Amino acid sequence: MSAPVSSETAPPLVSVDGLSVHFPLGHGLFGDKTVVRAVDDVSLEIRKGQFVGLVGESGSGKTTLGRAMLNAVPVTAGAVVYQDEEVRYDLGHVTKAELKDYRKRAQLIFQDPYAALSPRMTVRDIVAEPLEVMRLTGSREETDARVREVAMRCRLNLEHLRRFPHAFSGGQRQRISIARALVCEPHFLVADESVAALDVSIQADILNMLKSLQQDLGLTFLFISHDLSVVAHTCDVVAVMYLGSLVEVAPTHQLFRSPKHPYTKALLSAMPSLDPDDKSSDQRLTGEIPSPTNPPSGCRFHTRCPVAIERCKSEVPKQEAAEDGHRVACHRWAELHNPD
Amino acid sequence: MTAPLLQVRDLNLRFATDEGLVTAVESASFELEAGEILGLVGESGSGKSVTAKALMHLNAKNARYGEQGCITLNLGSGPVDVLSLRRERDMRVVRGGAISMIFQEPMASFAPAITIGQQMIEQLLIHTKTTRKQARALAIEMLARVGIADADKRIDQYAFQLSGGMRQRAMIAMALSTSPKLLIADEPTTALDVTIQAQVIDLMKDLVSEFGMAILFITHDLGVIAQTADKVAVMYLGRIVETGPVRAVLKNPLHPYTQGLLNALPRLDAFDEPLTPVPGDIPSPLERPAGCVFHTRCELAQNGRCDTEVPQVVAASDAHAAACHVVADALEARV
Repeated sequence: MSAPVSSETAPPLVSVDGLSVHFPLGHGLFGDKTVVRAVDDVSLEIRKGQFVGLVGESGSGKTTLGRAMLNAVPVTAGAVVYQDEEVRYDLGHVTKAELKDYRKRAQLIFQDPYAALSPRMTVRDIVAEPLEVMRLTGSREETDARVREVAMRCRLNLEHLRRFPHAFSGGQRQRISIARALVCEPHFLVADESVAALDVSIQADILNMLKSLQQDLGLTFLFISHDLSVVAHTCDVVAVMYLGSLVEVAPTHQLFRSPKHPYTKALLSAMPSLDPDDKSSDQRLTGEIPSPTNPPSGCRFHTRCPVAIERCKSEVPKQEAAEDGHRVACHRWAELHNPD
Repeated sequence: MTAPLLQVRDLNLRFATDEGLVTAVESASFELEAGEILGLVGESGSGKSVTAKALMHLNAKNARYGEQGCITLNLGSGPVDVLSLRRERDMRVVRGGAISMIFQEPMASFAPAITIGQQMIEQLLIHTKTTRKQARALAIEMLARVGIADADKRIDQYAFQLSGGMRQRAMIAMALSTSPKLLIADEPTTALDVTIQAQVIDLMKDLVSEFGMAILFITHDLGVIAQTADKVAVMYLGRIVETGPVRAVLKNPLHPYTQGLLNALPRLDAFDEPLTPVPGDIPSPLERPAGCVFHTRCELAQNGRCDTEVPQVVAASDAHAAACHVVADALEARV
């Protein structure tokens, strides 16, 4: 499962630089505003043709980061830049027309295929809607041809197109919603927990399909998931988030073979092993993820970190390059790192 | 040999719907001894939750139980046949007191407008002989036992004031406060993050060894099963296709469905290996396949046999058994 060689040196398709997304949460007692710091000072580059995984617990800000890349949430600070062969958009400063064009280039695949599809539309209309809304096709024949083509890619029968979503199982529905996202020929796709609602036997099928779509069409993916084993199987690069910050980014192999950040290590050891005799509970975390309205000072993980020291409470750790393409934000990673 | 705590024999369960009778469970049989954890695994629609609800007579009014099926509970005062209970009053034997249940979504299981404490105290007053004061003390003790800090303050809070992990702990505390003999846990960790899931699993295992109760652990997650259960029963479309000790089933699965599930599962220890999906989709319960329910997705299915003849359960060893024609042939050839 080696990544296409070009993707590691390819120019970044989406660059996130110092991005913060804060949501105001009404007013406090003395008029002071409570702010949810969903994403705080995150920088990340996604290269063309990469399958980038974004993992973290609920409340870590992974969905917000994904949406910020699609210009679907208001950005508080920092920049998101999209650049392909044809256009360059700084998402903070786009005109209406540019944004419309960007919508064609970047698409979202939702988590719940039951909620994402209108029960009153046929599958054909669901898949064709983006084409019609964006006026990408000239005639109904052209639309139908495009819908049929994308339906075949997503392994939907032509006979399925006339039916309504209720007639389909979870896996088939997810294929419909992928077809809808692909119909306007996007370059960049954000898949937000796109297999979380599916059964294991179906999930593998959708993952394999996303992977082959990426390779056949040269797509770039941001794959958001809470499931580390799913990410390990599909992604080329993995980014780990905790409470709005990016704690570690690395090529998949490096991240899983030699995680550097204590949070990544803890996440890995919390994954229940399929081997009943493997009881690795040595790195178990205590407590729960703190509230993003009042994140801990210094390193945000210090309240749950098994190796935190005084310094972690006051000083925010910077992203450091550990190895090629491996970045980690921890004061102690180097001294705790065991090369064996 | 004493009778097991719970014995389910030939359970058949169908639901009367507008589209006719829909089969949810077919000839399910399993046993559970005191102090044992049985994992009931299956995908959505496999009938694992309705099987568990049948044990407490909690299924909806349109449930139709098969004539020959029986669920026997041995709670110390003679066997109780759950399915023969008719009056609500009699059902109290199996609900809340001797059997407790914890659910997937703890927010939906606590009443939102009553404090956690009031709910815990209410059930203690109903199921045990305690005074209100004793019940409150016990409730606080249980909350502290499951690792909730400041239990004496938390008890007067509402469910929405607790975080997800804490709510699930409170749910467990409430379920255990009546000292049940059997705990039914229906996807208790599915809504939780992995780090919290690991904490809850540890907690449940500690409590089993401390209270000596049995747990029926329902989940779709084979990893969670591997870390908790002693025995496993794998369900597919209402049938138990394989049963056995957890090591045997996960390391040497017999049934093609169990093998398929394990091959489809992304694993951290082998993430370079490609995933092999189980071909096809789970059939709709309205179009239930004849013969072996799995034959429509099975690569080993034999025409004229698997699609017509329901496979018998065959045992590979004392406790490890599967319902599959191909497995039966292989075992016969070995003898």
